[in-house]
Amino acid sequence: MTAIELRRASRWYGNVVAVNDVSCALGPGITGLLGPNGAGKTTVLHMMAGLLQPSAGEVLIDGQAAATDSSIYRRLTLVPERESAYGFLTGREFVRMSARLQRLPDAEEAAARAIRLVELEGAQDRKIATYSKGMRQRIKVAAALVHQPDVVLLDEPFNGMDPRQRLHMMGVLREEAARGRVIVISSHILEELNDLADNVLVMIAGRLAASGHYRAIRRLMTDRPHTFMIRSSDDRRLAAALLADASVVGVELSGNGNGGGGIVVRTSERSTLTHHLPRAARDAGIRLLEIRPTDESLESVFSYLVER
Amino acid sequence: MSVGVDRTLIWLSARQLFAKRRALIALGLSLIPMVVALVFRMLVSDARGSGGDFLIGLARDLVIGALLPLTAVLFGTTAFGGDIEDGTLLYLLLKPVARWRVVLWKYVVAVVCTAAVMVPATLLPWLVVRGPDLPIQVPLSLLAGLAVGSALYCAGFLALGAWTRRALVVGLLYVVTIEMVLSRNLTGVKAISAREFALAISQKLLGNSAALVDKPVTTATVWTMGTLMLVVGVGLTIWKVRAYEAAERL
Repeated sequence: MTAIELRRASRWYGNVVAVNDVSCALGPGITGLLGPNGAGKTTVLHMMAGLLQPSAGEVLIDGQAAATDSSIYRRLTLVPERESAYGFLTGREFVRMSARLQRLPDAEEAAARAIRLVELEGAQDRKIATYSKGMRQRIKVAAALVHQPDVVLLDEPFNGMDPRQRLHMMGVLREEAARGRVIVISSHILEELNDLADNVLVMIAGRLAASGHYRAIRRLMTDRPHTFMIRSSDDRRLAAALLADASVVGVELSGNGNGGGGIVVRTSERSTLTHHLPRAARDAGIRLLEIRPTDESLESVFSYLVER
Repeated sequence: MSVGVDRTLIWLSARQLFAKRRALIALGLSLIPMVVALVFRMLVSDARGSGGDFLIGLARDLVIGALLPLTAVLFGTTAFGGDIEDGTLLYLLLKPVARWRVVLWKYVVAVVCTAAVMVPATLLPWLVVRGPDLPIQVPLSLLAGLAVGSALYCAGFLALGAWTRRALVVGLLYVVTIEMVLSRNLTGVKAISAREFALAISQKLLGNSAALVDKPVTTATVWTMGTLMLVVGVGLTIWKVRAYEAAERL
């Protein structure tokens, strides 16, 4: 059974630590590598692909160091994040080139099968330079899967894809995973991994901050203190009404508190507050003007995970 | 090693070299000497009679002196520079193909493409001005020198493309300063000039039939220094590509 293992792997560039002491073991199925931009996801994928040597620790594929020799690429592939592809080639030429460099006996047939897989038959004879971002992603996936490798690493594969293409690609990856392949997908959007990744690794600032099933990670991210900015026709009365709710842990008045300035509400459970707030406002005869979460950026969610 | 892999690397390298208007630029460079020859023939009454001196001067100053290094810069720096700049090198590194093999084929294709551009650049003006004093041996001797020059220039520019992201600018600076100015005036620089080596090979083959260069560098210098330049250029490129690590920019 093919498996990827990182043993206290670190990678630094001069004084900049990109990946810091990461250990994990991945087996068949889909693993999501989640984290904000600059978290070290691409560096981890490049180390797994043998394109980067770890500065410390080990990265093993089936017990062998990833960066040994080029024969590993018969079993392993990487779809890089950058849109770059040979723009002067047609989609079919690009995938067929990959098949030939993999020494497949019938490169033409293998390329046709891979292009069918990503549903690009209609555009296969167009130059890649004329492709949209989503089409480029799909042709890159076709070229990477043409030799049916055991390990598939994908760096932000859904970038630029429309919802239909995204769903189709998720289906393709699920089928590949069902065949026993090891698939690692990096993403900075948790929802992208919904119903896709059996296992999610959360990376923040080069470190592995959390790992587990998608639903467990989702729960970690939602069941945390949230802060909302609320503007209403009577902020002072609304604040008093909200304080009666057990889920509200604090309310601060902004401005003079007579309406217009708004209130900042901290809650331990977002869902309870969002149910209670409209009811409380209606009972008190207060008109709600604006409700805005102030800490919903991905960075703030990840910061919370780090602080846990 | 599969022949199919080698053929694919050659095919990809050639397609890459002639992409992005480089085919048009190469075509333009290859036709310049013919245009000059046509103008010469229209303006000079005894063009056939003085064709020998004209063709030798054209080969020395324009074809070997300028077009050869410019074409080699164009193709040599693109062979790897293009892949690194566009981020497409990853598609080659992620294949079960030895990196030195990728370098070798890219180099060979760059040399062949450079030499191929020199063929019409030499033969077409010869066809325009040829007379009894210009047998086919003259352009063939020039082409032999140009082939050696292509191999040496491309080795250097290939390494430049692998080592710096400003390979085209650095390459052009080298051509203008070293090859076009210093090697023509400083004797010591001649011993490391691919232009002088190309001239020496052509002169050796021409014999006494034409005077391409007054004091050509010796054949021994051409072979020793030429081999050294070739090995260092290709070797540095292989070293760089074998040690290549995918940074974020890839």
